[in-house]
Amino acid sequence: MLTAQILLNGIVLGGLYACIAVGFSLVWGVLNVINILHGSFVVLGSYIAYFAYTYLGIHPYLSVPLSGIILFFVGFAIQRGVINRVIAAPVLTTLVLTFGLELIVNNAMIIGFSADYLSINLQNPLGSKLIGGLVLPLDRLVAMLLAIILTVILYYILARSRIGRAIVAVRMDAEAAALMGVEVKKIYAITFGIGAFMAGAAGSLLSLVFPISPLNGTEFLGIAFVVCVLGGLGSISGAIIGGLALGAIQSFGALWFGPEHGLTIAFALLILLLIFKPTGIMGRKGYE
Amino acid sequence: MRHLLILAILVIAMGLLPIFASNYTLRLGTMFAMYAVLAQSWNIIGGFAGYPSFSTAAFFGLGAYTGAILQTQGVPMPIAWISACLVVTIFAACLGIAILHLKGHYFAIASLVVAEVLLEITTSWTDLTGGGMGINLPILRISIEAQASLFYWSMLLLALLALGLNFWVSKSRIGFALRCIRQNEDASAMVGINTTFFKVVGFALSAVLVGGAGAMYASWVFYIEPPDVYSVLTSVKPIVMALLGGAGTVFGPIIGAAIFLTMEEFVWRSFLSIHAAVLGLIIVGLIFFLPHGILGLLSDIKKKSIRKRGSSPGVEE
Amino acid sequence: MFDSKTQKRSIIASIMAVFMALTFTTATAQEKIRIGAPLPLTGPLSPEGLKQQRGYDLWAKKVNSGGGISVGGQSYDVEIVYVDYESNTPRAVQSAERLITEDNVNFLFSPFGSGATKAASSVSERYQIPTIAATASSEAVYDQGYRFLFGTFTPNSTLTTPLTNIVASGGQDIKTVAIYARNDLFPIAIAREMEKSAKLKNLEIISFDEYAIGTLDHASALTIMRQSEPDWVFATGYINDLILIRRQMSELGIAPKVLTMIAGPAYKEFIEATGKNAENISSAAWWHPAVSYNGEGVFGKTADYVAEFEKEYGSLPDYAEASASAAGVILQLAIQSAGSLEPNSVRDALENMNATTFYGNVRFGETGQITSLEPPVFQIQDGQAKVVHPKEIQQAEMKYGGIN
Repeated sequence: MLTAQILLNGIVLGGLYACIAVGFSLVWGVLNVINILHGSFVVLGSYIAYFAYTYLGIHPYLSVPLSGIILFFVGFAIQRGVINRVIAAPVLTTLVLTFGLELIVNNAMIIGFSADYLSINLQNPLGSKLIGGLVLPLDRLVAMLLAIILTVILYYILARSRIGRAIVAVRMDAEAAALMGVEVKKIYAITFGIGAFMAGAAGSLLSLVFPISPLNGTEFLGIAFVVCVLGGLGSISGAIIGGLALGAIQSFGALWFGPEHGLTIAFALLILLLIFKPTGIMGRKGYE
Repeated sequence: MRHLLILAILVIAMGLLPIFASNYTLRLGTMFAMYAVLAQSWNIIGGFAGYPSFSTAAFFGLGAYTGAILQTQGVPMPIAWISACLVVTIFAACLGIAILHLKGHYFAIASLVVAEVLLEITTSWTDLTGGGMGINLPILRISIEAQASLFYWSMLLLALLALGLNFWVSKSRIGFALRCIRQNEDASAMVGINTTFFKVVGFALSAVLVGGAGAMYASWVFYIEPPDVYSVLTSVKPIVMALLGGAGTVFGPIIGAAIFLTMEEFVWRSFLSIHAAVLGLIIVGLIFFLPHGILGLLSDIKKKSIRKRGSSPGVEE
Repeated sequence: MFDSKTQKRSIIASIMAVFMALTFTTATAQEKIRIGAPLPLTGPLSPEGLKQQRGYDLWAKKVNSGGGISVGGQSYDVEIVYVDYESNTPRAVQSAERLITEDNVNFLFSPFGSGATKAASSVSERYQIPTIAATASSEAVYDQGYRFLFGTFTPNSTLTTPLTNIVASGGQDIKTVAIYARNDLFPIAIAREMEKSAKLKNLEIISFDEYAIGTLDHASALTIMRQSEPDWVFATGYINDLILIRRQMSELGIAPKVLTMIAGPAYKEFIEATGKNAENISSAAWWHPAVSYNGEGVFGKTADYVAEFEKEYGSLPDYAEASASAAGVILQLAIQSAGSLEPNSVRDALENMNATTFYGNVRFGETGQITSLEPPVFQIQDGQAKVVHPKEIQQAEMKYGGIN
């Protein structure tokens, strides 16, 4: 029974993790840019959900499209205006650049929203259900399911639409795609925007799960990293598998080694994977 | 020759600083020397070899805790410092063997995450490290002025060693190999360069003095806790400094350190609530306007003026 | 480029400017009492740093509006010099030194928390600057034999002992305790004190678990805890941790008879963020707006202080904010008692202080830590923190159960 509950906890958590990571994975896989801003994008999404609920009474699940769209434009603008200029630069440059941008955005959030931890308290929370001896936290569960659904929708968009196929083409070979008439820079901006969209959407869904504050950004980024390496870069299925795997590992890790080692295990695992199998479970090799 | 003379004068001037500077100025000077060590050390693996290492924080923190633990066990300070250098070097060599086959982003992340793992291990291993409560180091029974001077000179010495190390690596076979690796690793391997060996050596060299700096730092501040010494900024700032001055050059990192710290001190004093954002702006501006650092800019200007004068292509530095 | 006349003139002008600047700064320095306050205004600890700032600012404003502090026939305005140390302890030490040597402050208010306070105190001790610590409770902070450090929080055991006394004698058959602590200086220290206090009352500690800083999910630990069905759950951490823990406890269906959390529940932000689930959470702190003291300092009675604070900031003060204001009041009383700004005199006045302020009775022990407080125990009832102990200011009886 204990094992089953721990597993359930892990899966629910994992679905949320997947949603956090999928946008990050996409940007990394297609643009070869590690977006240090990603965590802050998620937090921004949470703030949008918070204000939408507090002032407009919109339920966080319903504000998902709103957060997503706002963040899409934010991401698009940043990519178009700033990151595109250094897109061909070495890894170090883009990493340090997004790090610098993150400092600015994070500071702006702290000034704008203050660092106090906010929380959304629903008027009518769904509570928990006891089914067969297992406790199911319903709000969390619904958030997780919505996260998965959103991720699957993204998958289909990438697989079926023109833009989606252009993105995949650029991911596989940017030069060839350019020769085929794809506007690579525009695709980069759109992809970054989509990554931001997913982050914002995740933020809305997470607003019911975690306390909201600019100070959480780094934790979300860390999660995104581990999920990407676990699951494999640039693929949606990789993000989902990676997320679920991380959730399960953390859950059981806490059970077997004690709660204080949860993070250690995650990171140690990350390093081991990087050393032995950097392409992750799904095996899709990202850019070097 | 002229460069060496200027350097000698600067070194002597800096060495004499404790005589007429306030304790606070000495503190700033010690910080400068420390970051010079970090930036110059990173330069070996990041600048010469082109491997984006974020493991400076890991080496620094490990050095700090090694030094601190030894000192609380009664080991004299200088021996604790040297031991820290040794421990960190061995660690770096092992780590290097494990992760240097990775490239680009993967290597960057792996090197970054090592610091996180060490942080968590340090925090959990309370019996050895004091865990989340940190370690108190034994207080030196000498005057404030004497302490300030002692740590200043120690760090300064370390900075000079770091500069010397860069100089030596740059001129030696190791430097040559690392530069080849940066240009084209596969070709280098085909030409017969043992890339793994040189990478690991470079990585270890980039760690030895950082470990010492960490241990010195712990002795200097008397109290350390895991988040202080394993902070990701400890990895990022030296990179920014090296980029600012010119990564891959011998003097670039230390120049970058001087400029960066001056800016940072100014920003810290003047912009109480937005200094993080200002730092971010500096970084962004740096990436856009100074992609090769200041030394790179100077050398570009020099090249342009040589071309303008129409003389035969000047000798490259 | 310049001719020699212009050059001479510009040299003279700059010398004059520097001279004026120097005299100007020294002139203003004499009219004010400058107190250095390094605080974490950015970074993870910024909510705490801002609280302290509010407390200090209110005191400074109150003092200055009343004509300042009178010393030896002259009135001095109070100026608090803030430096942000970015939640980074080494920077806190650097800030303390900068304030003392560059900004020439007369006195120092400690940074936030036990760790940074201890680290920075070595600087102020070496420069012999009287320092008041408004947010450091661990006895380890005061164990270095320093003479210039004074703290406004009593040791952690003074919080846990009354709690265990109340619960053990509450007649509710409370036998088992589960402790869950953040692996950080203060949360671990107070969790260990709780363990000691509980054992003294023959309560069984069925688990003592720690969680890492930055943990975003407590489900595993709480699931394991649920299995052992503790009567009393004692959780420590910072406000974000406790909000999350409370929420997950509710999701996973943990319903102990007593739930005690330190140090979130004292803050209104915690109550707002936790909503209905805040009901019946108990806690203890070094001060509460409901205490009633007839204070000697600028604020007078506790109720008057609370009213002033509410007028200025639109909410009731919590213990951190009050402690910061109290640090100011205590310093002022010491200066007035010493009749001078000379560090050793003020320091002696602090050592010998026996006064009553809005914050409580003020007497410092040998180590410099205050010994005269009686920390109230309180419980959140109907969305408000109500005092259940000590009897003199009790507002409500401790309720058991009702945690779901």
